[in-house]
Amino acid sequence: MTFVDFLNLLIAALLLAGIYAVMSVGMTVIYGVMKIVNLAHAGFMMMGAYFAYELYERLHLDPILAALLAFPFFFLVGIAIHWLLVRWLPHSDRPTLQSLLLMFGIWLVLQNIGYLVWGNTDRSILTPRTLAILHLGPITISTLRLLVFVAAVGCMAVLEIALSRTWFGRSVRALIQNRYAGRIVGVDDEKTARLTFGMGIAFAGVAGALLATLFSFDPDFGRPFLLRAFVIIVLGGLESVSGVALGAVILALVETFSILFVPAQYQPAISFGMLVVVLVVLPGGVASLWARRRRLA
Amino acid sequence: MSTAVFAPSRLEARIRVLLPWLLLGVLAFLPTAGLTPNIIRLLFITFVWITTSLGWNLLGGLTGQVSFGFAVFYGLGAYSAALLIDRGVNPYLSFLGAGLIPALASVFIGLPTFRLRGPYFAIATIGVSEATRVIMNNLAITGGASGFRITEHRPFHQVDHYYTALGMAALAVAASFLIMHSKFGMGLRAIKQDEDAAADLGVNPYSYKLAIHAVAAAFTGIAGGVFARYAAFIYPQGVFAFQTSVYILLMPVIGGIGTIWGAVLGGVVFGIVEEQLVANFPQIHLLLYGALLILIILLEPDGLAGLLGKLFRRLRRSKRKNGNAHSRSREADEVLRGAGSG
Repeated sequence: MTFVDFLNLLIAALLLAGIYAVMSVGMTVIYGVMKIVNLAHAGFMMMGAYFAYELYERLHLDPILAALLAFPFFFLVGIAIHWLLVRWLPHSDRPTLQSLLLMFGIWLVLQNIGYLVWGNTDRSILTPRTLAILHLGPITISTLRLLVFVAAVGCMAVLEIALSRTWFGRSVRALIQNRYAGRIVGVDDEKTARLTFGMGIAFAGVAGALLATLFSFDPDFGRPFLLRAFVIIVLGGLESVSGVALGAVILALVETFSILFVPAQYQPAISFGMLVVVLVVLPGGVASLWARRRRLA
Repeated sequence: MSTAVFAPSRLEARIRVLLPWLLLGVLAFLPTAGLTPNIIRLLFITFVWITTSLGWNLLGGLTGQVSFGFAVFYGLGAYSAALLIDRGVNPYLSFLGAGLIPALASVFIGLPTFRLRGPYFAIATIGVSEATRVIMNNLAITGGASGFRITEHRPFHQVDHYYTALGMAALAVAASFLIMHSKFGMGLRAIKQDEDAAADLGVNPYSYKLAIHAVAAAFTGIAGGVFARYAAFIYPQGVFAFQTSVYILLMPVIGGIGTIWGAVLGGVVFGIVEEQLVANFPQIHLLLYGALLILIILLEPDGLAGLLGKLFRRLRRSKRKNGNAHSRSREADEVLRGAGSG
């Protein structure tokens, strides 16, 4: 492998990491505040993909723009679902199987609504930009991936600002740290949970729409990405937004560079296998490794 | 049914003992009553589903370890039986292999994943089952993604298959009953309620889970093998599909988690509804079950069996005024509220 190949792969991996981060961060905030493992994330990602598809096919809206429009749309959807179903779950400090199965049921419903409406043929969003390439000397970058990366980083930046600068963000961080203490100092946990759920779903929708510009999709679209999102949030330590960025970079690097060592047909097994390995070996995320090292020193 | 809330009268107790035998007798007699092959096929599929449902229930319902990965065992069982039968091994011996290999695989899978608890275990099983399908899609001995056709050198009798499946389902009911009423079963129940407390009482959760995982995998594998012999053609996207795991999980949860009759009821309802809907409206089928799952999780954790029990009790209460208001069984509550899943 030449140095240029290496650089190309590295850039591809980093661009991939951007979208991976957006796709996982919604799960992290929902898990952090509500301790719910959101299996329905996959369903909302799929819906996000079709959202962009429909806007592009019917209104010829640019898919990247559609992805940004997905944010308010899916935010409202998330709030509605929370109001209708999720808030009836008993509160818990630990993820319960009840919540897991409820989210799984929602995923099943979404997925099969997808099959009813769009059938099971593969769709894709093809724009003139899809195959465009940017040349920087010997290095080639897909324009579309770069755009998606920029959009993704923009989303992450907005989230970071929302979490660090607003009252809502402060409540979210308080509830992630300690639900009871948060309530004692006056955080409205019900309202924060509702907004957080809406935001998590909104990120799922945006991620789905962005992914739809890169890959073809069908109503089963979200599942492989759901597993990747798990790997990422576990690597990142489950509750931290910056951890998600780290996890996304690690997974993207592993996936991209494994092309050199693993036959293509076994490629999908990497993230699935990694999920099990990471859960078993590093349940506290990469940060726990760091903490352990520090304790030992 | 589940926990006896009322002290059952002697007549009721007798009915409870006799009913399974009566049912078995009727089902054994049915094929001679001149049913159409279509109905026999429907019953056959239902028995297969009942067996997987009971298998899952041992791990998910009794022990409280929800797994999204039972398609691995179903598929391994199907392929083991298929390969053995194709090489001329007696089919009934092949079914032993179809139970043994998934049981071994379950230990292999359980060793790392049972270090995880509750939802983390559930998520890890998704990863395991997806990885298995990718590998099976590319394995040469099984014909890869294009599937495997089983050539059996003996004439096809549908009734044979019917009795095989009936026997298997009856065996699964009997085994579930024995396990649930044994000391081993008590240990499993303790693990579901509180893993740490169970460990303090001398139950080793890790080895108990491994053991019940193996039993559940064996039954699921045999069901896969029996199905494969009937279908005569299997392929990874079918038997190893995530969908299959979903089916196997939905049946006992919807029927009534943690109870034998709940799991059986779930299998029956699923088998019949599936046959009616899947051919014409495959999406509506799962849409329906997804919606049902949501309703059951939020409103009736005991599933359809619990609902029936409630109706039955209400009928009786109107006859006899001094009823006990305690209606929801604690079984399901504990599973779903995730006690012992931290």
